Amino acid sequence: MLKIVNLQKKYTTDEVETTALNGISFEIKPGEFVAMMGPSGCGKSTLLNIIGLLDNPNSGEFWFLDKEVSRSSERQRADLRKHHIGFVFQSFNLIDELTVQENIELPLIYQKLSGQEIKERVNEAMEQMQIAHRRNHFPQQLSGGQQQRVAIARAVVSKPALLLADEPTGNLDSAHGREVMELLSALNEAGTTVVMVTHSPSDADYAHRIIRLLDGQIVTESITERHAARVLSPEF
Amino acid sequence: MLRNYLKIAWRNLLRHKAYSAINIIGLATGISACLLIFLYVGHELTYERNFPNAEHIYRVVSRVNFHGEDDRFSLSPKPLADHMRREIPEVKKVTRLAASKKQTVWKDQQPFLEDNLFFADSTFFQVMPYTFLAGDPVTALRAPRTIVISDELARKYFGSVEKALGQPLQFSRNQHLVTGVFKAEKHSHLQASAFFSMVTKDEAERTGKDAETIAAQENEWILFGYYTYFTLHHPASLPAFKQKLADLVQRRAVPWLKENEISASMELMVQPIPEIHLSNDFQTDISPSGSQSYVYIFSVVAVFILLIACINYMNLATARSAKRSREVGLRKVVGAHRSQIIGQFLGESILITLLALVLALAMVELSLPVFNELTEKQFALSSLLNTNFVLLILAILLFVGLVAGSYPAFFLSGFRPVEVLKSDKNPRGSNAWLRRSLVVVQFTISLVLIIGTAVVYSQLQFLKNKNLGFNKEQVLALNLPKGDSLFQERLTVFQQELTQNPNFLQTATTGNIPGERLARLLMLVEEEDGTEKDQTMNVMFVSYDFLELMGIELKEGRTFQKGIPTDEKGAVIINEAGVKWLGWQNPMGKRVQVTDYDAKVIGVARNFNYASLHNPIEPLMIIPIKENTGYLLAKIRPQDLEASLTFLEQQWKAFAPRHPMDYFFMDDHFNRQYQAEEKMLTVFGYFAALTILIACLGLFGLASFTAEQRTKEIGIRKVLGSTVVEIVLLLSKDFALLVLLAILIASPVAWYGMKNWLQDFAYQVNLSPWLFFTAGLASLLIAVATVGIQAAKAALLDPVKSLRSE
Ligand SMILES: Nc1ncnc2c1ncn2[C@@H]1O[C@H](COP(=O)(O)OP(=O)(O)O)[C@@H](O)[C@H]1O
Ligand SMILES: [Mg+2]
Repeated sequence: MLKIVNLQKKYTTDEVETTALNGISFEIKPGEFVAMMGPSGCGKSTLLNIIGLLDNPNSGEFWFLDKEVSRSSERQRADLRKHHIGFVFQSFNLIDELTVQENIELPLIYQKLSGQEIKERVNEAMEQMQIAHRRNHFPQQLSGGQQQRVAIARAVVSKPALLLADEPTGNLDSAHGREVMELLSALNEAGTTVVMVTHSPSDADYAHRIIRLLDGQIVTESITERHAARVLSPEF
Repeated sequence: MLRNYLKIAWRNLLRHKAYSAINIIGLATGISACLLIFLYVGHELTYERNFPNAEHIYRVVSRVNFHGEDDRFSLSPKPLADHMRREIPEVKKVTRLAASKKQTVWKDQQPFLEDNLFFADSTFFQVMPYTFLAGDPVTALRAPRTIVISDELARKYFGSVEKALGQPLQFSRNQHLVTGVFKAEKHSHLQASAFFSMVTKDEAERTGKDAETIAAQENEWILFGYYTYFTLHHPASLPAFKQKLADLVQRRAVPWLKENEISASMELMVQPIPEIHLSNDFQTDISPSGSQSYVYIFSVVAVFILLIACINYMNLATARSAKRSREVGLRKVVGAHRSQIIGQFLGESILITLLALVLALAMVELSLPVFNELTEKQFALSSLLNTNFVLLILAILLFVGLVAGSYPAFFLSGFRPVEVLKSDKNPRGSNAWLRRSLVVVQFTISLVLIIGTAVVYSQLQFLKNKNLGFNKEQVLALNLPKGDSLFQERLTVFQQELTQNPNFLQTATTGNIPGERLARLLMLVEEEDGTEKDQTMNVMFVSYDFLELMGIELKEGRTFQKGIPTDEKGAVIINEAGVKWLGWQNPMGKRVQVTDYDAKVIGVARNFNYASLHNPIEPLMIIPIKENTGYLLAKIRPQDLEASLTFLEQQWKAFAPRHPMDYFFMDDHFNRQYQAEEKMLTVFGYFAALTILIACLGLFGLASFTAEQRTKEIGIRKVLGSTVVEIVLLLSKDFALLVLLAILIASPVAWYGMKNWLQDFAYQVNLSPWLFFTAGLASLLIAVATVGIQAAKAALLDPVKSLRSE
């Protein structure tokens, strides 16, 4: 799916240089579910944004779908995002002026799809996330958990191969958080590659693999217990 | 995609009602002002367009130079038309037109005064293609005492167009047979209500004269009394025609001038009729002409007003950009290209402009009555419905939509999702600098207009209050009917009758009055060394007691007196400027001969402004006349004006039942020379008010935005003990500085521009710094008040609430 080699990212603000990522290398295979953990400010979001092609690294290689994309233009990256990547954020980032249905529709309007096709896909995503009954509500009329389900529906409506989630449960209580994790897990089982940033060990447990960062560097990579159990179980 | 854009635009509009209202109202005001101005400008630029092929109808105009003094007339010499027809083969048709004085028309024993009457050759309608509603344009004016009238006149006197044809129209002295009715043409330099046949005039001028006199009269090349219109067989032969016209002058006019010992040079020029309205460099034009420079000024003002409105939109949109940044970031995350986002915001601004346009059309409709009064035109909303205007409206829509929308579109679409989607922080609400500069631009434009208005106003006040060297207050002038000998004889009695009334202090008759165009006549004057020389000078024909009534002072000598035989035989008074111009050391007793009037100078009048203050005082010869023509002046007491007028009316009815009373006040009449400036003042005033209104609307929006952004800060300050006044000052200070900066920029610009405008006047008001100071202070106060309201609102919020709400 993607491969990162010796990635470097620096920020310069007010003449102060911050090295957000310093020599990161790893690979993610199709169908994997990877969790990224680490203290605040260690570079998780920065890494996720680069993986999500929202940002370019300063140096290093980034292979996405067998192409080197670390120096691609904004336009090329937008096209890759449009077709292959879905995002879920901690703060949901729904558009207040649009209804649930219209929010979910958003990624599709930038693709060349027929109205009929858009409708079908949106319906499918809403069913999947169990929010079809709220389709005409505006975000502010929903609970946090419902909002995040809308956000996930929006992220997957264009059937991306890669789903990126930055602390998707950060703004939710534990019950709703679990609900969201189940959904992500289900999506992963259906074939979507998932990369998720989280602070919660229990959330990380849903993943196959955990990458731990500290000060812009990878400290450990480990396979989760649940995954290990699954790998070792005979029926897998 | 479009549906999604529209939806979000619409919902944003509804959600932020105050912002939307400010935007839409501001834009609508700008657009409506713009449309009104373009209606006016469009009208000014399309004169004569109702005449087919108007650009190929021409008029001959003249430039005459007597002794280095250039005179430009829209009139041409009397013999010209005839020679053009016979000697220049390129000419297809040439025709003459002459103006007639006001005349009285009778209907059911009732007199009506008619203006805009002309004499026209029978070929006139073949050159000027008026639409005939009845009669034959080719033959209508062939016979003497025939008349072609406008449909308006036909309806007024005969009830309908059809009934008018073949009917006599009764004038004071004789009847004229109506042989045609044309459609009145208001959109023309020639706003005629009727044309008499030229042969009527010719006959009148010939009666009682022998053949030799008539022939000489027909060949007077210096008699500029006719408008000459013509068409060519081929428009392309215009250059050839011009050459032949110049040859004609050399061949005919020059020898004639030499023969008659008139040292003048003459040049004839050609003017396509659509150019007449906006060219005001010719004297004796038929109707007051328009002004090219006002057309420019108004167009520029229109664009500026629109620009100010656009700036409001830009400023409010970018100030609020933080609110839209998340949406932009998100759209980019899901793969929208920057161009698509630009498209979205441009579409949004076009949508808003569209709404503003609809509102603007309603505003135009509402303001048309006032506007029509102002411009003395008859515009209707339907005049906007022709192709040109629909195109213009589309252009405005695109211009505003794109100009106003492009900056926010490019600004907003530049947001990087990584930054704007960070959960906690608001993105930089930046570009405050650009916003500030744009506010300065707005206020600079407004201030230039405000200062301009103030300068025009004070100049007009100055013109009206300037001591003219004569007394124009409380002087009433009556137009005396022409050619009624009975009335002439009884005039003295009438005057005596009037002065019986204590309200009528003094009366006098006069041929000319100040503020009227005077004739410039050729005269023979005695030099210091006793020799004689040809000169041309303005001439004013007056009665004996005119100078006294007008309060014109003498520097030397005496005024005309009844009973002094030499005055009856020949006496003139010259003004100071004339003495200086002629270089006389000793003006008294100098000989002056004007045509066959042989006179001696008996006095020197102090300079008085007999013409508009656009011009310096020119040399003037004042000549007494015995017959009562022109005007009867009456100096009346300011008290009981109403009663005086009633008394006058009664007396007039008794003395001149055959003539409607036609009077005016001297000061009004004189001030009418500044009509163009008055109009400019009103228009400037309105538009200056509009621009400041729109600019303040934008400021209001910006201030409320800042107040909103700083709610928390204000809350903290209040908790820490700031007073409301301190907070209002804090919030207003920034904006006040911007307005101050605008004052600094606008003042020199306005000073320069208005200095230029004042060049039109020989007498100019002083541009005092106070004027600039007052205008600046006024707009500063308005701006601070606007901002202050918002600031006070924010400052009065309960700090506990505003701090909790975060
Ligand atoms: N846009 C930015 N400009 C400057 N510094 C940034 C920017 N984004 C992140 N950083 C810095 O980079 C480092 C990594 O940030 P981030 O990836 O957001 O950390 P995490 O998501 O792990 O909390 C931090 O030190 C942060 O201050
Ligand atoms: Mg983070």
